[in-house]
Amino acid sequence: MRHASPSRPIAPASYRILKVAIACTLLVSAAAQAQMKSPATPTHSANDWQFGVVLDAGATSRALELGARDQGLQLGHSDLSASGSVGKFFKAKLTGVSETHDGKLETSMEEAWLETTSLPMGLQLRAGRFASQVGYQNAQHPHADDFVERPLLYRALLGGHWSDDGLRLNWTAPTSQYLMFGVEAFQGKRLVAEATNAPGTLGAVALVAKMGDDFNRSNSWQLGLSHIRNRRQAAVDHHDEDGHEDDHHDHHGAKFSGRNTSMLDATWKWSPNGNNRAEQLKLGFETARTTGLNFGPSLGDSHQSHALSAVWRFNPSWEVGARTDWLKVSMPDVDHPTGKLREYALMVAYKPTHMQTVRLQYTTQRDATGFEAPAKNSVQLQYVLAFGAHGAHSY
Amino acid sequence: MRTRTETKRLRAAACGCLVLLVSAWAGQANAFTVFACEPEWAALSRVLLPEAKVHVATHAGQDPHHIEARPALIAQMRQADLVVCTGAGLESGWLPVLQQRAGNSKANDAFFASDHVIMIDPQPAAIGTPWAGDVHAEGNPHVHVDPRNLLLVAQALAERLQTDLPAQKVAIGQRLRAFEGPWQQRIAHWSELAAPLRGQRVAAQHASFGYLWHWLGMSLVADLEPKPGMSPTPGHLQRLLDGLRAKPPMAVVVASYQDPRPGRWLTSQLGGHVPLVVLPATVSEQADAKALTEWMDGMIRSLLPLAKR
Repeated sequence: MRHASPSRPIAPASYRILKVAIACTLLVSAAAQAQMKSPATPTHSANDWQFGVVLDAGATSRALELGARDQGLQLGHSDLSASGSVGKFFKAKLTGVSETHDGKLETSMEEAWLETTSLPMGLQLRAGRFASQVGYQNAQHPHADDFVERPLLYRALLGGHWSDDGLRLNWTAPTSQYLMFGVEAFQGKRLVAEATNAPGTLGAVALVAKMGDDFNRSNSWQLGLSHIRNRRQAAVDHHDEDGHEDDHHDHHGAKFSGRNTSMLDATWKWSPNGNNRAEQLKLGFETARTTGLNFGPSLGDSHQSHALSAVWRFNPSWEVGARTDWLKVSMPDVDHPTGKLREYALMVAYKPTHMQTVRLQYTTQRDATGFEAPAKNSVQLQYVLAFGAHGAHSY
Repeated sequence: MRTRTETKRLRAAACGCLVLLVSAWAGQANAFTVFACEPEWAALSRVLLPEAKVHVATHAGQDPHHIEARPALIAQMRQADLVVCTGAGLESGWLPVLQQRAGNSKANDAFFASDHVIMIDPQPAAIGTPWAGDVHAEGNPHVHVDPRNLLLVAQALAERLQTDLPAQKVAIGQRLRAFEGPWQQRIAHWSELAAPLRGQRVAAQHASFGYLWHWLGMSLVADLEPKPGMSPTPGHLQRLLDGLRAKPPMAVVVASYQDPRPGRWLTSQLGGHVPLVVLPATVSEQADAKALTEWMDGMIRSLLPLAKR
């Protein structure tokens, strides 16, 4: 039984409305910034544009279920980026990404945004295409990831790395402890590529709160809470008799979606005396739960995923890490109403300079129910070269 | 479906949060707040504006190239009225993240010490390759280990503070002069004291003390790092050893934040005639003018007895 999915295209008029809305907010914020800027303050240099290149080449012995990398050689998340000031009040960034997927080289615009730099009271407004700041990892650049693949949580529920078209407003509190609240409004087309309903331009809204501090010189932490309200209903992805999934779907979209996704992330980092170059232990936990699925008789159906990871830099150039992922999803499938997958990964990374990483990873997918091709054993080798301005790494 | 009481409770919780935040905000003192990337700039800020609240991002035990953009630092930058850093790419791995995340317009226009001194070893032609290590095209960013640079930076910082705080113009000018006089005398004294170090050869890790060698007329004959910013490797140390055995240096010098083991290995291989010296990369986080003097003094006094005739 294939669900009829007459994906109704969104009326062009509503795109125009979004564009006008973005333009208006930018104009208003520029005016607000101009007012706040005292004439005595020297303005930021306009010619500060920086360019960067990231090359990610990998080899995979066996493709992972829900993985982003094909078997054999592949080009991972490789990008070209440019960032800098635009006039006195904005910073902009453009990033074009290339990667191989199903043997084909795909190129896309991952980032193209403008952000205010001098709004008062710790406010920041961003417009364009950018990665949502939900969870611990989503907004981070994949070249800085500790493992070859993102956690199952991101691969199953957020399409790996969710960047979308929209607006963001962030407020950083003037408190001694880090505290930030943000709201993002997205078109949502890169979360759910084809919607069966007509949600209009506002496809997804994300609310994020982040807080963090130092315990002492050697220990620091961060905690994040996120909620995604997804208004775009995905076509129900029935497996047909041959076991083939729909393959016309944009692979950037989430494999498993629902109306509400709540996420919690906690990170703790330890480095002796705060000298993280020499040694660092990083522990991270993330959990997500998606409810409001668009099928099934029971309202209690949900998708759930957790990821727990530890990475130890025991020398300026060497890191080892382990991660374990849990995934439980509800599927519109009579035989397998529940899909389950466990993933364990071990990695070792050599970083001769901060621009290069060579990583070897072993991954095993166990206890699979409802997934067709879990990888019992997979070995992946990855080489990342980040050259020029490739974005300083966030916490 | 959320019940009405739930919604009410949520609203009450949200209001509570807001009240807490506003009171936390109101509780902030209105002192001029300086965010200093390194302790030496914090010390100069205190010299010029003793009443300022100063946050120091790093300490002498940390490699300033590699600092984690921690939430605590974002919060400090959010509160800053002025950001004082070294520049020349030293903080390029973390300062931009802090500025971007803090959302504080005053933090974007940072004061960079390296803009006000003459840099050594500039490499304008170096577009660099990814295999060349951390090449700073502008030059060696560790400018603070030459006391003459500290004087130039103090003068420029005073000017910046006077622009930001016009009401304090006279007081800042007076404090600058009170610092300048004795500091100039000290420079003359140190130069005289360190005369025996002129022409001495040292092996060191990284360009951390490049300005000190330059000022005192010493020469760096071997760098423990195979490439700038790359940790010493056994192969590279072995190659250095052959050259150093023929003509041993006065000492092997490493900074307080560097792993002393490669240097220790090198000195042991040189037969114990060449000492390992660990110099403090900078002053303490609470440092003032006196601490700056003691730090400089201490570095010269720990090198002086090692000078070879």
